[in-house]
Amino acid sequence: MQLVAAELVESREILPGQWLQAFHAPALTVGPRAGQFVHIRPGDFSGLILRRPFSFNTVDRASGQITIHYRAVGRGTDWFTRLRPGDSVDMLGPLGQPFEVDPHSRHLLLIAGGLGMAGVRMLADDALRAGREVTLLFGAASATEVYPSSLLPDEVEYVVATDDGSLGHRGYITDLVPEYEGWADQAFACGPVPMLAALARLAAGRGARLGIASLGRKPGRGSTRGSARGAPEPGSPAARRKAFLQVSMEQNMGCAVGACLGCVVMDAKGAPQRVCREGPVFASTELDWESGW
Amino acid sequence: MIGASPVDLSIELPRGLRLENPILVASGTFGYGIEYSDVVDIQRLGAICCKGTTLRPRVGNITPRVTETPAGMLNSIGLQNPGVDAVIRKYGPTWTGWQVPVIVNVAGESIEDYVEVASRLDGVPGVAGIELNISCPNVGKGGLQFAIDAEAAGAVTAAVRAVTELPLLVKLSPNVADVRPIARAIEAAGADAITAINTLSGIAVGPGRRRPLLGNVYGGLSGPAIKPVALRIVYEVAQVVDIPIIAIGGVAELGDVLDFMAVGAIAVQVGTVLFADPTLPVRLVEQLTDECRRLGLDSYLPLVGTALPKRSSPLSAPSSKGVEYRP
Repeated sequence: MQLVAAELVESREILPGQWLQAFHAPALTVGPRAGQFVHIRPGDFSGLILRRPFSFNTVDRASGQITIHYRAVGRGTDWFTRLRPGDSVDMLGPLGQPFEVDPHSRHLLLIAGGLGMAGVRMLADDALRAGREVTLLFGAASATEVYPSSLLPDEVEYVVATDDGSLGHRGYITDLVPEYEGWADQAFACGPVPMLAALARLAAGRGARLGIASLGRKPGRGSTRGSARGAPEPGSPAARRKAFLQVSMEQNMGCAVGACLGCVVMDAKGAPQRVCREGPVFASTELDWESGW
Repeated sequence: MIGASPVDLSIELPRGLRLENPILVASGTFGYGIEYSDVVDIQRLGAICCKGTTLRPRVGNITPRVTETPAGMLNSIGLQNPGVDAVIRKYGPTWTGWQVPVIVNVAGESIEDYVEVASRLDGVPGVAGIELNISCPNVGKGGLQFAIDAEAAGAVTAAVRAVTELPLLVKLSPNVADVRPIARAIEAAGADAITAINTLSGIAVGPGRRRPLLGNVYGGLSGPAIKPVALRIVYEVAQVVDIPIIAIGGVAELGDVLDFMAVGAIAVQVGTVLFADPTLPVRLVEQLTDECRRLGLDSYLPLVGTALPKRSSPLSAPSSKGVEYRP
């Protein structure tokens, strides 16, 4: 984690109200992993006193640039849209736990709902670079909110669903997951909580549907506490690596370093976990989806 | 020339609580001191007030727990913490190795809770003091009720005083009609210092205006928005107690530190603004040093109490109780 002055290089409204911004921040292009985020300070300090968290959307070490993708939804994000090339902002990062890809996984299924694209976008780049195959399922309300395929690598198989059927499958993106769950070795998702909860339920039933034991769970082991020898510690990178589905969570955030305890979600044992520190990426089985947080 | 003499920002609070400088970080905004250590040289802070600690573990409130408001934020964490025993076990050894004093913020639902937590902290290496949080607005039982009644505030302070030799700070709530009788009761009960203020109770409205935004409905307002309220309370309390006052409420720049000192604070805590600007406290230490040098002072103490109605600062005043409140 470091504090870095980042200079805006380019700013584009890629969809109505949705912005893609590139910043020159060489120090942040070394080390960050897909799923991690930066906490950026709005400069208008008179009214806006909290930083805003953004996933690393893309990271390019050669040019020293990172990009963020967001929707302008309030005074803070509006402020960011008014930045001009050459303007500098203060970034704190990289923060949080990244996605963990099992070395044996060849086929990655990425699932994004709306702005959730920003949460999984970098993983597509990383996976392709590592020689993996990537299918990206993307859901939005209508065609006007569909992430442009021109902003994705050509090698990604891009499948779209819209609620109103104006582009791609008519309905939820989760409808399409069963078609791909046999192909996918692992799945990674970011989007609205109802979508993630539906995916978690699908993932829980996957083993039975496909007639396979779910990854990382050896039948016959009695302990449910995760402490059995060989079973990875819940919340650990190894536990995520062994999970079929990893989700990137969102929550109102204060400090983003684990100090204020503002951004928790409840885990399966009823203990609060900080989205900024233990997350934002969790194995889907680690969270209590019924808790309402 | 006087301006060339070295500036000493250190202060000695009662019971041997020595701070290298008067810039502290506030409870609930700095975790247990370790969270920001990648970007903040924590040993240069005056002290660290850790997250509110209770007898038993607390999972805290449902989310959303925080939201930004104009020049401030509302929080409703609900005192999530692992309980005093876990805090001592997990962080005590680390704190022992630190130069910066760690003051453990203590919260509870009953006098017995406060007493038990305080006695478990007494004598623990690495614990430099206790800040009694009798004013947390975000828990159902206890918490705030001790801060809104002078008799209850005095009772809990006296009970804790009886079981610990640790320096004892008591944090005032602004959510009262008149804070002065409460401050006097706390002083009379044996507190070593007063911290003022905790957050102001408030709410925000959620998306679609269908319900309040925070999961707990009520939250505590903090940040620059509350600075005038904090200034007023420090100003009032400074005129009725002799024990040192540590001010908290929206400190964002050196001018805020100097303002709080002018109304009688011997030290300040930086809180919410840390989230935007984690290196602020260390910069304030440097800027306060520079300011003293500019004024030709070798200590900042002459800056304390300059805006109070009486002629001298609370530190140098003998034992005057100041101006009595007459409604």
